[in-house]
Amino acid sequence: MWAVLKKEFKTYFLSPIGYVFIGLFLAMFSLLFYIITIYSGTVTYQAVFYNAVIYVLIFIIPLLTMRMFAEERKSGTEQLLMTSPRSIVGITLGKFIAATLVVVITELLTLIYLGILCYFKVPDMATVGVTMLGFLLLSMAYISLGMFISSLTENQIVAAIVTIAIFVVTWLLPNLSTSFLQFSLFEKFYPYVTGVFPITETINFVSLTIMFIVLTIIVLKRRKLVK
Amino acid sequence: MIEVKNITKRYGKFTAVDDISFDVKDGEIVGFLGPNGAGKSTTMNMITGFIEPNEGSIIINGYNMAKKPKKAKKQIGYMPENIPLYQELTVREFVNYMAELKLVSRKNRKEEINKILEKTGLTEVQKKLIKNLSRGYKQRVSMAGALVGNPDVLILDEPTVGLDPKQITEIRKLIKELGKEHTVILSTHILSEVSQICERVVIINHGKIIAIDTPENLEQKTQEKNSILLTVEDKKQNMQHLKEQIPEIQSLKFVKDNEDGTKQYMIESDAKVDLRKKLFEVLPKQDITIFELKKAENTLEDAFISLIDETQKEETKEGIKENTKKEEKDSQKQKKHKEKEESKKAKKEFNKQKEDKTKGGKK
Repeated sequence: MWAVLKKEFKTYFLSPIGYVFIGLFLAMFSLLFYIITIYSGTVTYQAVFYNAVIYVLIFIIPLLTMRMFAEERKSGTEQLLMTSPRSIVGITLGKFIAATLVVVITELLTLIYLGILCYFKVPDMATVGVTMLGFLLLSMAYISLGMFISSLTENQIVAAIVTIAIFVVTWLLPNLSTSFLQFSLFEKFYPYVTGVFPITETINFVSLTIMFIVLTIIVLKRRKLVK
Repeated sequence: MIEVKNITKRYGKFTAVDDISFDVKDGEIVGFLGPNGAGKSTTMNMITGFIEPNEGSIIINGYNMAKKPKKAKKQIGYMPENIPLYQELTVREFVNYMAELKLVSRKNRKEEINKILEKTGLTEVQKKLIKNLSRGYKQRVSMAGALVGNPDVLILDEPTVGLDPKQITEIRKLIKELGKEHTVILSTHILSEVSQICERVVIINHGKIIAIDTPENLEQKTQEKNSILLTVEDKKQNMQHLKEQIPEIQSLKFVKDNEDGTKQYMIESDAKVDLRKKLFEVLPKQDITIFELKKAENTLEDAFISLIDETQKEETKEGIKENTKKEEKDSQKQKKHKEKEESKKAKKEFNKQKEDKTKGGKK
């Protein structure tokens, strides 16, 4: 797992993808930060995160996930990986954790904004902490979904578009009928923003993440038979 | 030691590899030959554990690929077709990653990587990005990736494709050298390569093994006739009567006129008869001067083509048999159909007659 994790993480920053991801996120985050806190004169730092999830995260998470398996499949390097004495579980987890680390770095970088805000007025730190944790859990669920989609195709663009489509659909579905609320991950993120640590939602995110990781492993194992 | 036992791979209705079995002994270099789409790469992919066979088992150094994949895979260094590489890494980073994947301990890693880079002639380019390398170097990087971890078995899928002649001889030399310490399976289209490097050849066509033997034996087996190429100066036109002088000659063909007074002929005889000695004795007596006399050797290429042709002929024969069966069935059907129609007609006529009779009766 470590070998794959190390290499994957390094590759994010050898190619421009890692920088593009972090740069795009922080640029949008700055804009939201300005509008929500400084422009309107409030200290609701968690609201910035909530908006960042909806308007930024869902569109740029595929940047991290689209190439995971699709690229290996297309270039054939999948053969090197799968014929090595490493387990499929280790390979999948390595790739997943590498992408998660990029999100963690991005999140740590947003602490700069928190510092700026603290200069004016210190917000409720507990709420901010819970929100940031929820943000990470939500990202992990998204990454595992994106990874699963990437394992299904050898075309990165298809992987990215399908992933975004699923994100957008689950975001908009509750507008059609409230019975779709269960499918919306944003609704599940909302309790974190209020500053309460929601156990149900946390279990929900974690189990979603595990489910898609397991599905990815199943897809990769099955490919041995089908290919 | 590689043991391949009755492996079969199917894709839907299409059978890519059909019940193949063979062994490769330790330290042997075995060549895989076959036309495109014969199932060479599929077989190699199954041996390396990249794909799973539908039936049969693969045992590498005593480890079953299906039951102990981790240990079995550790025995193998694989250089896949089309040299897949991580383009964004440098040569050294790539080899290092492969070493990590192959569980080379941290202590020995640096030393081993240096050794392999030197062996494959990559030391000078080790800091270059792989995407900036030429094809020949990429091939070597792929080879280095296969060699790292010092696996017992090397599986090389078309290792010399796309290289220039100098690089080809270099890679061949390297493979030959590797054959001293490793068991090597390689696939190729180039037949001269096989006769140069390999100790044994496996010829595959349509997913089945046609022949397993040494290159020399294969060449001899398929040699039906002994042919001699002869260049002579023949002023008195005595060559036409040569057949009468030497009865063993089965055919004498004129090949070409060299326009310097000499002519080239092809003489064929039975495979067991060597006519060279007799020709040297007889021709000078006929006032024929020999300029050149050469035994036309049957190459592996001829062996390969004749073997592939044979299997194809058999298949078409089977096809024809099936077709004739079908035709027979069809004609039988037609007959039955005709008979039925005829009986129908007869019935109709009979009915008509009946009707007419009854009508007539009413009248």
